Amino acid sequence: MGEEIDLRRLVIRTYHVTDIEEGDTNKVLADGCLYYSKKVLAGILSGYPQLEALDIKLIPPGSEGHNRYTNTIMDIIPVSTKVLGKLGEGITHTLTGVYVLLTGVDVNGKQAHEFGSSEGNLRERLYLNRAGTPGDGDFILSFDVTLKAGKGQEREGVTAAHRACDEWIQIFREQMKKFRGEKCTQRHEYHDIVRPGKKRVVIVKQVAGQGAMYDMSLFAKEPSGMEGGKSIIDMGNMPVLVTPNEYRDGILRSMQ
Amino acid sequence: MGIGPSTKETSLHHFRDPLLDIVSADEDLDLMGVMIVGTPDDNEDKLLVGTRAAVWAEAMRADGAILSTDGWGNSDVDFVNMAEQMEIRGIPVTGLKFSGTVGQFVVTNDHLDGIKDINKSAAGVETNMVGENNVTELDARKVTAHLKLKMRLKEQHPGSR
Repeated sequence: MGEEIDLRRLVIRTYHVTDIEEGDTNKVLADGCLYYSKKVLAGILSGYPQLEALDIKLIPPGSEGHNRYTNTIMDIIPVSTKVLGKLGEGITHTLTGVYVLLTGVDVNGKQAHEFGSSEGNLRERLYLNRAGTPGDGDFILSFDVTLKAGKGQEREGVTAAHRACDEWIQIFREQMKKFRGEKCTQRHEYHDIVRPGKKRVVIVKQVAGQGAMYDMSLFAKEPSGMEGGKSIIDMGNMPVLVTPNEYRDGILRSMQ
Repeated sequence: MGIGPSTKETSLHHFRDPLLDIVSADEDLDLMGVMIVGTPDDNEDKLLVGTRAAVWAEAMRADGAILSTDGWGNSDVDFVNMAEQMEIRGIPVTGLKFSGTVGQFVVTNDHLDGIKDINKSAAGVETNMVGENNVTELDARKVTAHLKLKMRLKEQHPGSR
């Protein structure tokens, strides 16, 4: 049995958001205040001919807040950004207390889904406190996309919805890069470790790759981001290998 | 095809995946990496991608593999083949997949004894409730423990799977 070998370190600093309001601009502060604004949406929308309209809604935590209609949930996305280094090493800043819910429907009311859909009363459509869903006390920022007719069933439409949402999130990411480290709520440190002599194990994640929203994007520039990502479909669905730290730094963007 | 709302792993799930947390924290294991493999449409391709994953695991000299998927239905073809390709190369496999009552394996083989059903719904169905039938920490602990057992058995009885 050899000594453990430490390959690299990833530090994730969390900044807990406690107050969210609609404001004149999209702005997030290290002290927990976040302002969102719909004014930026027209500019984002103009870049995506597949999309008809964009909207942002604030959903407060609690059963009453969740007692509302939602279009089908396409993804739930953490707001994270690289501050130092590339995905899988260096420093990442991420918000806790708020997550982005990407939802989609087309102009004819056809939900952007393929194998069961989750539109309806949010209270009955979102199971809280899982690894992949918000907790009881978390805010949700719903990024609701209206696609042009039929585009919710087509790959370019679904990809456009994800990209538009990512553009909006990027506004916050740019501000979060400048957050002072000592203002973080929590600091987590992760290491890619070799344990010589121990049983060598690989985790294999089989992901979607058949088309339309049945896709997975990898290797974006930002954690859980879209920009710069490569689709598993375009890579022939062939296996690719990532380090544990790359994986936990948000190298996958789930598009199914 | 099929990934339903209740089994779908969101980007947030991947960001804080309980399976990775459990396996990477286990000091009896040397986690080499996470392989991501897609699910093609074409049947020949389905067999190809899982086979390439197994060849890669063999080349890494893996002692064991944990396979996890949030899909069910025709993607079982990919999953079941991958389990077989791993085990015929001497790599014991456990894994996580939704079955319940509606998502039982559409194809089977002799290499699925380590695959745990991640269904959480009372009726064993796709509930269309995002997150409900997702992998939890407990699921991850169970398949990790089961893999350790399978690897130990293989060591004690090298001829068997």
